[in-house]
Amino acid sequence: MVDVTPDVTLDIKGLSCPMPMLKIKKQLKTMNSGQVLLALGTDPGTKNDIARNRKKQEYELLGIVHEGSLFKFYIKKS
Amino acid sequence: MSEERILGNKVKELYKTLCQDEWNAYTVGVIVAFLSVLIMAWMRPWGAMGAMRNWGDWFLYGIGCFEDAPKNIFNNSGSVIGIGFIAGAFLSATLGGQFALRIPPFLEMVKAVLAGCLMGVGAALAGGCNVGAFYNAIGNLSAHGFAMWLGLVIGIIGGLKCLYWEMEHVTCGGSGAKTIEFPGALQVLLGMAVLVGLIAGAYAYAGSDDDYLVKMSGILLISAGLGYSMQRGRWCMLQGFREPHMTGDGTIAKAVALSVVLVAVGIAVIKCSGLRQIEYYVRGTFGWGGVVGGILFGFGGMLAGGCGTGALWRAGEGQIKLWIAIPFFAISNSLMSAWFKQNDYEGIRAWLNKGITNEGSLGSFLYLPETFLGYGGTLVLIIGAMVMWYLVVVWNEESNKLVLKI
Repeated sequence: MVDVTPDVTLDIKGLSCPMPMLKIKKQLKTMNSGQVLLALGTDPGTKNDIARNRKKQEYELLGIVHEGSLFKFYIKKS
Repeated sequence: MSEERILGNKVKELYKTLCQDEWNAYTVGVIVAFLSVLIMAWMRPWGAMGAMRNWGDWFLYGIGCFEDAPKNIFNNSGSVIGIGFIAGAFLSATLGGQFALRIPPFLEMVKAVLAGCLMGVGAALAGGCNVGAFYNAIGNLSAHGFAMWLGLVIGIIGGLKCLYWEMEHVTCGGSGAKTIEFPGALQVLLGMAVLVGLIAGAYAYAGSDDDYLVKMSGILLISAGLGYSMQRGRWCMLQGFREPHMTGDGTIAKAVALSVVLVAVGIAVIKCSGLRQIEYYVRGTFGWGGVVGGILFGFGGMLAGGCGTGALWRAGEGQIKLWIAIPFFAISNSLMSAWFKQNDYEGIRAWLNKGITNEGSLGSFLYLPETFLGYGGTLVLIIGAMVMWYLVVVWNEESNKLVLKI
């Protein structure tokens, strides 16, 4: 459970690598610093891609909620 | 806590580590190199194209395009590699609870068709997929691996630009995604059934009177090991080329570079000692065939979202997009390969019969240890190239100079 209200929700369900990460990057570009993005995806690879790329410090991963095959990624723009 | 309870917890932890957690990229790189050397010592190098071609040949034979029936899918080492690999990936995905039928939006299905065709044609031109014509080509000390490497980088950058363009300009075809889930217990049961099938298959092969079929026992199990470990680490070589330009992350690139060095050293020992013929995975595509093949394959792989083996393990975890791409990969590759073979565009006959290396029109055959480099120099060249790649990738991780901006 992630206790935060997202500012933007992005549907990336059904998309597989590399589209989820690209759509997230594109969405984050349009957002202001400190805003929270909720991305809803189904590709298990996205979890690792987001975790790995946060080292770039463009965003902070607040949490991942796993509901069946649905992943909810809470991402805060740095 | 009782001793039995502690042991029980440790068993659970071990199961989680082996079957559920995502493996570290470098660990998978070492395992893939180890299994690649092992399969070579057992019989032959591995790749994804052999399976694709055999399956494509069967389809084209079925619809009357080809006159002669191809080898049985269970009696062709390339096909057995593909079957073992997908089975291993399926086993990993089900034990990890990651198997689901993921139906992509319509646009992704269209991209899958195009991607499959490009990858099939590219692999035929380059003399293999990213494994057969890059990873195991350099690993087998053949220069055509370097030609495809160059092509792959160009194709992947082009493919990435195409995906950026798609995100800006294509607005239709984004709906229709659906995921069909399976309960965790059922997944484990299905995985166990496949594991039993793999073991039973290996025993059936081992009990055959035919020496070739006996060899298939190890081929099936080692390929399953490759599929299992690559799915568990979500190890996709294409990411090694793509990520430095997309996100700047170089983790997979570094893991692939390490793996190529290990496999090259292992196979140098095998070939230099005479355990296997040097001709394995030396192809006459060191030239425009390798480069253009790499460009088409890399571009196609970007649209598919996976390389040759990445497509297979993603198919094993239920990604329908790759289920669509694979048949088109198989059929286009089968058609192109048959055409090349009929006209001997690669010049294989001249190479094998007369030792002429440049008779073909796709490029030339160049087994690096047969040049002035020898085995030592070849390994220095390969290690040097991988060190260079590593340095470029880590420099880019800090500087982001090679990242294409959205």
